[in-house]
Amino acid sequence: MEGVERIAQDPAGQDELYREAADTYAAALDRLAHAYEADPDTRRDLLQDIHLQLWRSFAQFDQRCSLRTWVYRVAHNVATSHVVRRSRIRETLVDIEELDLMHAPGHIELDAQQEQALGRLALLIQQLKPVDRQIIVSYLEGLDAGATAEITGLSAANIAMKIHRIKTVLRRWFHEGGSHAG
Amino acid sequence: MPDESPGNDPQQIWQNQSTERYRMSLEQISQKIRRLHRQARLAALLFGALGVVLCVVFARSAWREPYAIPRAGWAILSLWTLYSAYAAYKSNWPKKSVSDASWSTSVAFYRGELEKQRDLTRDVWRRSGLTFCFLGVALIILPGLILALRTPRLLVNGVPFFAMLGIWFVMYHSMRKRKLRKLQREIDELTAMEGQS
Repeated sequence: MEGVERIAQDPAGQDELYREAADTYAAALDRLAHAYEADPDTRRDLLQDIHLQLWRSFAQFDQRCSLRTWVYRVAHNVATSHVVRRSRIRETLVDIEELDLMHAPGHIELDAQQEQALGRLALLIQQLKPVDRQIIVSYLEGLDAGATAEITGLSAANIAMKIHRIKTVLRRWFHEGGSHAG
Repeated sequence: MPDESPGNDPQQIWQNQSTERYRMSLEQISQKIRRLHRQARLAALLFGALGVVLCVVFARSAWREPYAIPRAGWAILSLWTLYSAYAAYKSNWPKKSVSDASWSTSVAFYRGELEKQRDLTRDVWRRSGLTFCFLGVALIILPGLILALRTPRLLVNGVPFFAMLGIWFVMYHSMRKRKLRKLQREIDELTAMEGQS
């Protein structure tokens, strides 16, 4: 669903915007938290924090961008803060180019093992640096390059190039198995 | 052989995962905000109180110290703990900002977070006033060191401590420099990416 053309100047407007955003994007926010945090308990805290900051942010929401862009920006930023705070983990993160060179796990029968496939996909995402993580999550959520560019602030051409690389990595990890690099 | 069946589509796998349709009630939100503020205030008060206690202890030592140089050392340490307590109190006290999360673009936000971390790492020595801490300690142990010069056996006993201190100092600085280089490299990469936009 696209943007809401309103400005939350009063607490009631803020509450209403939050309700609308939470109703529309609850599942997407849960998936986004999954992309940033593997531990279920910490993920729950992160999800709560995202919702809290989202509610707070609506005090200053204006129509300069769509509700969807706003929600994803705030959510990604809260989650990025979470990753940056855990700086020891951040040091081991890679970008999509490095991931492409890493040894892909063996082929898995996805139809029969959806849970395992999802676990592997989440693991792949959680290894990425925040910017690449934002792009891959947007791609998996079905957002186009333009929408992703609006969220991240990168150019659509840059996003398209990254998505191309992401698709290659996903194909290798999920369809072909094995590795083409040492 | 690549398997391109819809069931093997990562987008579908991702979007079809079971999710919790989580939503916070307004009551939950205000409770959480109150709890966060309470925790922040408690941490600020604890740091403040600890600083004041240490300040009094060091001031008392300065008062009781018969020699001028160590007395100055204790006095500097006392003032340093007071400054540290104030800095900790200030950074922990809950702020009245609307939101901790910016709604700027994700890349700009991430770069900002890295810049904050770089500045903190770079200025940690100055911000925490460690120069005064080390100066105070040096003044306190200086008379002991001068005495030890007259009795070399005592000086030898102190060698392991000073060797450890030297090793820590070198390691701390090299790790700090390495971290700063990594952070700066990542910031530069992000700036270049933004420049292409």
